[in-house]
Amino acid sequence: MSSAESTENKFDLSTKLLGGSFLGLGIGLIGLVTGLSSGEKEPFIGWLWGCAFWLSIAIGMLMLVMIFRVFNSQWTPVVRRQLEHGLAAFPWLALCFAPLLLIALFGGENSGILWSWVNPESPTYAPPHLHNEEVSTVGDDVLHQKKSGYLNIYFFSFRLILYFGIFCGLSHWMRKVSFTQDKDGDPNWTHLGLKISAAGIPAAALALTFGAFDLFMSLEYQWFSTMYGVWFFASGIRAALAVTIIGCLYLSTKGSLKGLYKQAHQYDLACLSLAFTVFWAYVSFSQYFLIYSANIPEETFWYTIREINPNTGERSGWFWVSMGLIFGHFFFPFLYLLFYRNKIVGPRLIFIVCWILVFHLLDLYWNIIPGREINPGAFIGYEARGVWGTHLFWGLATLVGAGCLCAWAVLRSFQSKVAEDIPIRDPRILDSINYHE
Amino acid sequence: MDIKYGLAATFNSAKDLYDAAGKIREEGFTNWECYTPIPVHGLDAQMGVGRSKVPCFTLAGGVTGFFTGMLIVWYMNSFDYPLIVGGKPYFSPIFPFPVYYELTILFAAFGTLFGMFFLNRLPQHNHPTFEHPHFGRTGDDKFMIVIEVEDPKFDDEETQDFLKKVGGKSVTMIREPID
Repeated sequence: MSSAESTENKFDLSTKLLGGSFLGLGIGLIGLVTGLSSGEKEPFIGWLWGCAFWLSIAIGMLMLVMIFRVFNSQWTPVVRRQLEHGLAAFPWLALCFAPLLLIALFGGENSGILWSWVNPESPTYAPPHLHNEEVSTVGDDVLHQKKSGYLNIYFFSFRLILYFGIFCGLSHWMRKVSFTQDKDGDPNWTHLGLKISAAGIPAAALALTFGAFDLFMSLEYQWFSTMYGVWFFASGIRAALAVTIIGCLYLSTKGSLKGLYKQAHQYDLACLSLAFTVFWAYVSFSQYFLIYSANIPEETFWYTIREINPNTGERSGWFWVSMGLIFGHFFFPFLYLLFYRNKIVGPRLIFIVCWILVFHLLDLYWNIIPGREINPGAFIGYEARGVWGTHLFWGLATLVGAGCLCAWAVLRSFQSKVAEDIPIRDPRILDSINYHE
Repeated sequence: MDIKYGLAATFNSAKDLYDAAGKIREEGFTNWECYTPIPVHGLDAQMGVGRSKVPCFTLAGGVTGFFTGMLIVWYMNSFDYPLIVGGKPYFSPIFPFPVYYELTILFAAFGTLFGMFFLNRLPQHNHPTFEHPHFGRTGDDKFMIVIEVEDPKFDDEETQDFLKKVGGKSVTMIREPID
């Protein structure tokens, strides 16, 4: 293949991705507009789910880059460079989340369509002893009044901008210190990267924790869990590692990492995947375990609507999703990744990381989609949103659209020649390319 | 009284040892060992040594621990002396999970430690190679290969010549004293 032809092919892929993002996000936006006029929540919650998947991956990558920097370990530079390209997606992710914030800010009577607490007029659930024929509103709810110092639209908007500012700023600096070192070879960039990471890890950890609280947990603002941010972190790292392994394995067979990405790197990435599989299960189970043991209605409803139809007590479709997560997102990958051969044989590892990505998507679906829809006629005062619904369609469209947009941004970073294939002047680069199990 | 333990050959560099190890593996020897003052990357593969079997003991220990925890909870809480605590079922996989989990970790750690002891035949207070007058130097500046008499391919004369041929210096027979 001539070089001109290969450039043309790359151009094609880039254009296709951009087209895919316009198509997917366009469909999603049509959903948002129709949802805004009809008052349906489905397109919004679908949009949030579709974008959350890519956000979790990008946040996982950012944390990994900073963790690699801080640990200053010998094997990471070859892998780190690929992740740094991945960070190019952050500004575009901010753009993806912008419509949700804009609607919360300027949506008028529908401003509380996604996050019901945004609008004091939104109907909300009140416990039976507070029932008085009329539907309760957020404004009357003492649980919101007590939280309104935190959960109000102005502070919320400020925080969202701050979170994305932290993510974009740290990604910019992580890329800059690494890419500039390629050119001038100054070891001080390594020291600077270390310092930024040391400060950046707590900053990004707080941003992702409160980001998960604000974006996902506040969908049911009466519910709360301090484990939620840790859950999001663990999920993000798992997904980021999966994408990293797929990307590095692809580049080592077809592209720039041939002979540079070795079995030892793959083994370590797979071991991290195993570790974070256990960590994800630990955090997710702890959250369930504490709520189950305490058995307080304000908390247990969140799991109840993920298991049964609260009005009839029968198992709903969410029960099977929950079971799927326990066995498919933990037990199977955990047992599979225990075996050495499954970690080093390329196709076997690709299989399980794709599996993890699919279940990560399902995990986000399980966390974001179920919710209480206030219905005064229902036995318990609300209906639980089902597994199937138009939110799935709108969500998948947004998922594809936002994914294509992120992939386009990352591909652009790879092709822009701002950096070498590996950080050739990193002080650790020789250790990294000669890394041995 | 003493009996023959094996033939020892010394080498001056990691490279010499590494090359010799490959030749010894190709020759088909099985009961032999390398002694080096520093870790030599890739030597395991060069010697044809497979992965450690310790993880099997770890897994077995972990599985045993998990089910031991379940058995304890079932026996105490549900069979021998059923007691309602906090309105929870007598037996369930959820509330006593920390018990299963902790015993899984504990037994997996036991499996790892004792499996390692078992596979390495530890504790072993002495080893015949210590009889070699210069064995101490393998902790300093010498590399050594010892082919044991036990090896099916071992032959006093031939093995001695072979070790010299692959670059071994001062090939000596280690003799193990017995009462």
